[in-house]
Amino acid sequence: MSNVIIEVNQLTKKFKSTLAVRQADFKIYKGEIFGLIGQNGAGKSTLLKMIGGLVYPSTGKIHLFNSEMNANHPYYERMGLLIENAGLYPQYSAYDNLKFVAMSYGLKDHLKHINELLELVGLSRTNKTKVKNYSMGMKQRLGIAIALMGSPDVLILDEPINGLDPQGISDIRNLILDLNSKGITIIISSHILEELSKVATKYAIIHKGEIIEIHSKEELLLKCEDRIEVEVSDVKMATPILEEHLNIGNYKVMNDHTVCIYDSHIENYRIVNALVENGISVHSIMKHKQSLEQYFLERTESVVTAHG
Amino acid sequence: MWLQPMVNLFKMDFRRFISNKMMYVLLMVFSAFQIFGIFMINQYEEPTEHGGLLTSAMNESQFIQSMLAQTPSWVMIYIAVFTVYFYMSEYNSGFYKNYITLSRARINSVLSKILIQGVFTLFIFVVFILSDLIGRTIFFEQATIGDIGYFVKLLIGQIVLHWSFSIMILCITIIMRNIIASIVISIALVLNVFGMVLGVLESLITDLNLTSYLLVNTITNRTIDFNNLGDFIHVFSVAIIVMLVFSLIALNYKIREDLR
Repeated sequence: MSNVIIEVNQLTKKFKSTLAVRQADFKIYKGEIFGLIGQNGAGKSTLLKMIGGLVYPSTGKIHLFNSEMNANHPYYERMGLLIENAGLYPQYSAYDNLKFVAMSYGLKDHLKHINELLELVGLSRTNKTKVKNYSMGMKQRLGIAIALMGSPDVLILDEPINGLDPQGISDIRNLILDLNSKGITIIISSHILEELSKVATKYAIIHKGEIIEIHSKEELLLKCEDRIEVEVSDVKMATPILEEHLNIGNYKVMNDHTVCIYDSHIENYRIVNALVENGISVHSIMKHKQSLEQYFLERTESVVTAHG
Repeated sequence: MWLQPMVNLFKMDFRRFISNKMMYVLLMVFSAFQIFGIFMINQYEEPTEHGGLLTSAMNESQFIQSMLAQTPSWVMIYIAVFTVYFYMSEYNSGFYKNYITLSRARINSVLSKILIQGVFTLFIFVVFILSDLIGRTIFFEQATIGDIGYFVKLLIGQIVLHWSFSIMILCITIIMRNIIASIVISIALVLNVFGMVLGVLESLITDLNLTSYLLVNTITNRTIDFNNLGDFIHVFSVAIIVMLVFSLIALNYKIREDLR
């Protein structure tokens, strides 16, 4: 049986003249934490709303648990949503808000379930406080508790760390990792890649409604790792020299002329000398040091340039 | 059971309904103004030139019909305000996102709101009658009900008409998604602006009097005799048609709506 939980094919959403999401294609596997990264207005929320059944796609298909989704499909019940701001009645307490949701789910033993959820998100002490007196972080945590009410298999969290202080961000991060360890597949969006990188296992970069890259965590870290990029006349001849003369084992051949060395402690001149002494022409050598944030900006800028 | 998800949503809405201070405030203000209105009638009541019945001498059925015939009808205004408030408080808070993944949630949510409107209409009529009885006892020194059979028919007819009015307002609110716009349209409906315009246009074209079948015209028509089978059928057919038409429009819109 396939482990694909969500499959999105050529998903497009157009609002009047605005193309919010353009031909999105990706798969999310069971147990993943799928990070959706994009600037404000990139189309993250619209994409998540389509997956969560709030917004209908203009074209394209969504498969959930290997079934094609249509309006009111029962599989939507296996999802918990926290999209944009948590949907809460400010004049009611956290307990009341959770009770409303529990009633909509028809939960019999809702008192026990509500208390467990409040405990899980760390709001059990303030369960009688009106939500209008909550901080942003507390509202987000309550939103997550509500999203967990139906014991979902998939949790969709749209910008859950927006407006949170460092402690709040850390709490939400730990909560997400804890929920994932219990088997919940999580889709999380953010415009802060650095933060997303601490939880996500797969990343999709969305820019102007288009998914421009999808990477596993390992691939992304590799791309952002400190490296020396060497452009030579013949890469096949260069790599044995690097191994034998400089004892370099951590490298990756990018193409016929380029090799990336992931050992930034070696001085450039030693690499050049070793290669030149063995008859290899070195066209260029460059040290790369890139943060995840820089990588993201570079990717989105390159898309802007490519699109003119 | 297919009905259970709708019952669950209704229970949720009903809990919000009864725990909502706004509902009680509306009913209390309505009651106070109703009693105050009776006091004012008592102060300034004069015999009509044509020898009509004095308001203070009316029984409860006659009094209700005379009150509801006044434009704007306060009962309709309160129903409109509550309908817009109840729907928009959920919509603006985004609370619907918490249950929208449930099976048939869009349909059930509209049906549940329609039932809540029915309960509110019932509540406001109970308060209406109690306030009338209190006010009339204090200021008119009489609170006769009159023919109980007629009174019951009148109440059932008017409750069903007002419930259908609230469904019409709910439908408008669902489509407008804006408090101010919904209230403005509701007030125009309560003032019977559309009914009057259509009435004038109709009188220019034909003398069929089809506009008497408009909902607000039916509610405010004091000549309707609930003992007359023709009038009774008129009232119920108008109410049921309005209910069905606006419920279906609201459901259809909600099913297709892109939620923010």
